[in-house]
Amino acid sequence: MAALIIRRIVWTIPVLLLVIFMIFIMMRQIEGNPFRRTERAVPPAVQANLERKFNLDKPWYMQYLLYVKGVFTLDLGPSLVLRDRSVTDIVKEHFPRSLKLGVLAFLWAIVFGIPAGVIAALRPNTVYDYLLMFFSSIGFALPSFFVATLLIYYFALKVNAFPTNGWPLGFWDIDSRVVLPSLALGLFPMAYFARLVRGTMLETMQQDYVRTARAKGLRWKSVVTRHVFRNSLIPVVTATAPLFGLIITGTFVIEIIFSIPGIGRYFIASVSNRDYSVVMGITVLTSVIIIIANLCVDIAYAFLDPRTRTSRT
Amino acid sequence: MAVNPREATTLEPQTAAPPLAETAGAPIRQASLWRDAYRRYLRNKGAVAAAVVFGIIVFYCLFIPGFWFIPGIWPRVFGIDPNQVNFAEVYLPPSLEHPFGTDQFGRDLWTRVAKGGQVSIGIGFAATIAILVIGIAYGSISGFVGGRLDNAMMRFLDALYGLPFLPFAILSLAIIGTVNFWTMVIALTIASWFTAARVVRGQVITLKQNDYVRAAQAVGARWHRVLVRHLLPNTLGVLIIFIFLELPNVVLGEAFLSFIGLGINPPDASWGSLASEGREAYRTHPLDLWIPCLFIAALVLCANFIADGLRDALDPRTRET
Repeated sequence: MAALIIRRIVWTIPVLLLVIFMIFIMMRQIEGNPFRRTERAVPPAVQANLERKFNLDKPWYMQYLLYVKGVFTLDLGPSLVLRDRSVTDIVKEHFPRSLKLGVLAFLWAIVFGIPAGVIAALRPNTVYDYLLMFFSSIGFALPSFFVATLLIYYFALKVNAFPTNGWPLGFWDIDSRVVLPSLALGLFPMAYFARLVRGTMLETMQQDYVRTARAKGLRWKSVVTRHVFRNSLIPVVTATAPLFGLIITGTFVIEIIFSIPGIGRYFIASVSNRDYSVVMGITVLTSVIIIIANLCVDIAYAFLDPRTRTSRT
Repeated sequence: MAVNPREATTLEPQTAAPPLAETAGAPIRQASLWRDAYRRYLRNKGAVAAAVVFGIIVFYCLFIPGFWFIPGIWPRVFGIDPNQVNFAEVYLPPSLEHPFGTDQFGRDLWTRVAKGGQVSIGIGFAATIAILVIGIAYGSISGFVGGRLDNAMMRFLDALYGLPFLPFAILSLAIIGTVNFWTMVIALTIASWFTAARVVRGQVITLKQNDYVRAAQAVGARWHRVLVRHLLPNTLGVLIIFIFLELPNVVLGEAFLSFIGLGINPPDASWGSLASEGREAYRTHPLDLWIPCLFIAALVLCANFIADGLRDALDPRTRET
């Protein structure tokens, strides 16, 4: 299995290079050079110096290699709009806030979504099941910006239980301001987990080994905890990787609604400001996160499912 | 021999595995397969309700403001133009003439939401179909040719999976430069075609091992013939389900983009941009925000239920349970 994991880790490197390459190519295709604004005529010498500073005078493959080197040495270049700040600084400042939002949203999903799925699966076709699945369908369908504004409308404006916006800035600071944004972001993964766990548990209960366990006289409680629940968690682990992408997408919107100064809001502002290096840096960062999440899921899967250890193409 | 002789001569899709005993009554059975599916679908109350609501939404979006050659009911009866600004009628409460009231510019929301629905659903279907076409092309080539090419194509997909959806779509839009209906379709397609490719590839690989494909290969059919005449028709059921599974994702993606102000521009509307406009004053006029959001939610829910119903009706594996 060690060989498998090492192979998987090594394989991540070309994927990373390819993704950075694609983002690099895409950034180059965007119309408009930030240093060739017509309204502010720049003398040729200054133009040349600017281009040299941002490596724009080198051929594209050198630019790419320099950028890759920058990614691996955590130096994403200077911001084009805030000249005194580097992209790495901006990421360091804004990213932990978004990370906290995402982690809390995931916590909502795990703490409430998985038990909801277990309850629904243990009492299929009862009132509990129907109620839980009804709510999970709603959580599945409502766009997160609507959930967010609904939550603000009721819990912040009508009931006055939570503040409408703001965010505790330190990574470990948690107060009442984090509740609504993380819930708004966590509702979809919560609903998703509930559905997934219910589905896989019902499926697992049909398996032969569950019947064997019951037939040999094991108590139903032990059967559920030892056999059904454990095996049902494998798809949940697999599903976390795409959920990462969805949560990243969600933070963009949630940060705008709750005025959270996170990386998503900064990204959108940078797109409007044409701050290319920031846009590129944040895109690369989110890609790296997703790729590493995928890697972790694959490794976790190898630990959870013994079959993947031996047979693998 | 278990080979089904119909497979060589018909393009009619057949999602079920070839029946074991009743090969004789071939043409009749073919028609009744879809009738079977239709009957099974009708038995699923939730799916039928979802289809009805879906139909109503589409009808509302097309006939209330009018579309192409379809005359609009509201413009005819009340002379309302969805983009007509009227500052004398700002934030009117719902009435017969304005069933959803008016927005901050005095525009009629009833027709505006319907117009926005045309854009949202239109982008949804156009992008879903584009995703399917690309996914089918990529996935079936990869799955059918197999070997080293398959490996390379799948590794490329792995890399694409590393790109986050929203930044990828935003970058695509930035590259295209302008934002309108078709560029939104292109951007959303670019950002989300990989899942379709994987689904198609998996399907093709499963089907490839079926007896009738081996038989076709054994009698000397070349790979592209097998692909077009046997494999694609047999995946049709899965593809129809996929349309309704993918539609909500695309509609939500469009809504996200428009909501954060990087999608459809005013005065044109989509449900996402209407929600974005409605959010500006939702504390005093929550209706402006809730109506487009409820339409998005209704569409997503309906598509999910329809997909579930179709899967139960068309997929032979879930039939017994």
